[in-house]
Amino acid sequence: MVQLASGAQVSGHLPSERPAHSWVTTAARVVLAAVLIVAGALKIGAPALSVQAVLAYQLLPESLAQVVGYGLPVVEIITGLLLLVGLFTRVAAGAGGVLMVAFVIGIGSAWARGLRIDCGCFGGDGTLAAGQDPNYFWELVRDIGLLACAAWIVVKPVSRLSLDSALGFGGAREPVDEDGQDEGRDDRA
Amino acid sequence: MSKRTSEAAKARIAAQREALRKQDQRRRVTMIATIVVVVVVAAAFVVWSVRQGTSEKVTGGLAAATVQEDGTVVMAQPGVTTPVVDVYEDFQCPACKQFEETSGATLKNLAAEGKAKVAYHVITIFTQEPTKSNSLRAASAARCVTDGRQWLAFHDKLYKNQPSETSSGFSVDQLITWGKEAGVTSSGFDDCVRKQGNVAAHQAYTQQVMTTQKLGGTPTVKINGKEIDSKVAFVPSDLRDAVVNAAKS
Repeated sequence: MVQLASGAQVSGHLPSERPAHSWVTTAARVVLAAVLIVAGALKIGAPALSVQAVLAYQLLPESLAQVVGYGLPVVEIITGLLLLVGLFTRVAAGAGGVLMVAFVIGIGSAWARGLRIDCGCFGGDGTLAAGQDPNYFWELVRDIGLLACAAWIVVKPVSRLSLDSALGFGGAREPVDEDGQDEGRDDRA
Repeated sequence: MSKRTSEAAKARIAAQREALRKQDQRRRVTMIATIVVVVVVAAAFVVWSVRQGTSEKVTGGLAAATVQEDGTVVMAQPGVTTPVVDVYEDFQCPACKQFEETSGATLKNLAAEGKAKVAYHVITIFTQEPTKSNSLRAASAARCVTDGRQWLAFHDKLYKNQPSETSSGFSVDQLITWGKEAGVTSSGFDDCVRKQGNVAAHQAYTQQVMTTQKLGGTPTVKINGKEIDSKVAFVPSDLRDAVVNAAKS
């Protein structure tokens, strides 16, 4: 009887926790994924341009700028795709968050040093067009917003419309554990 | 009764352990599969990127190059008049250096193959120091070179030695040394560089180019007068295709 009750409790517990946050996480996933995929796709075809955009920050030596210029678009696209399908959501969101922290540091330092560059976030060689002013403030607002999305997903990784849920990862695991504990209590009684 | 419950409970625990084990296994398989897919996709992207970023080598000789009266330098095989590839650049601009390193050889090869007439327009886009003076000194020095072939060698040398945007560079002594190293034999080259007597002519040329060409920045590359996207200009194979296609149409 107790088993049944506890079983019912567990199955009732699952849906009640999910709707509260899971759609928010899904939305955060889609927003972060879309920006990462678009940013990566716009940069990936022209690596020399991407390297130049990295060099424009005057933070990394040539060799590292090459690695970032070639590698960053690939990382952005793959992280974005994992977030979009919701596979290993927490790890992917963590990676996205690390990227956003790096971007915030880069843009913030360019601003602090008084450089006049384009962030190169969505392609380009990092130089501002004639008569264009830097847009550091809104670039930072955007990236901090995306960082918040990533942080939310890391804290609440269970979401609707994700492969993780479909495969029974994350959310489905807890009730099984809880059930096991219930059995243990039942046994003692 | 208690015993039966206990046995039933044990059976359920076993079943749940089995389910848990299966789930762990599924998780492991999915993780491995995901990692494999990610690695394969990443490798494919990197291989493609490297190909997109690979520069040509200047294989044969160079096409004839002539320094025109206004300072424009034209590189083409005799009789080749189209398609025209105009390059607007500034010796001090880092993106121009990147463009030359990435696609410079492609332009030289296209000209040598008789597939394009390439025109170099050196201008000064900088309005602040030290970049403005750096740019003006280098451009003025380049105007001291009268031979087209030597000008090209000096042009390449300047990009190779481009100073940082935050420090004074392209000093007259450096410019003279690099001129010698590039094989410049123009009479009075040293004096010409030292006097910086071509600054006014260069600024007038810059002014004229900026008003007629409506440039958004440097480098700007135009094929038959039409500006091409930097995503094409900075991808050697795409730049080659764009020029070859322009010749067909």
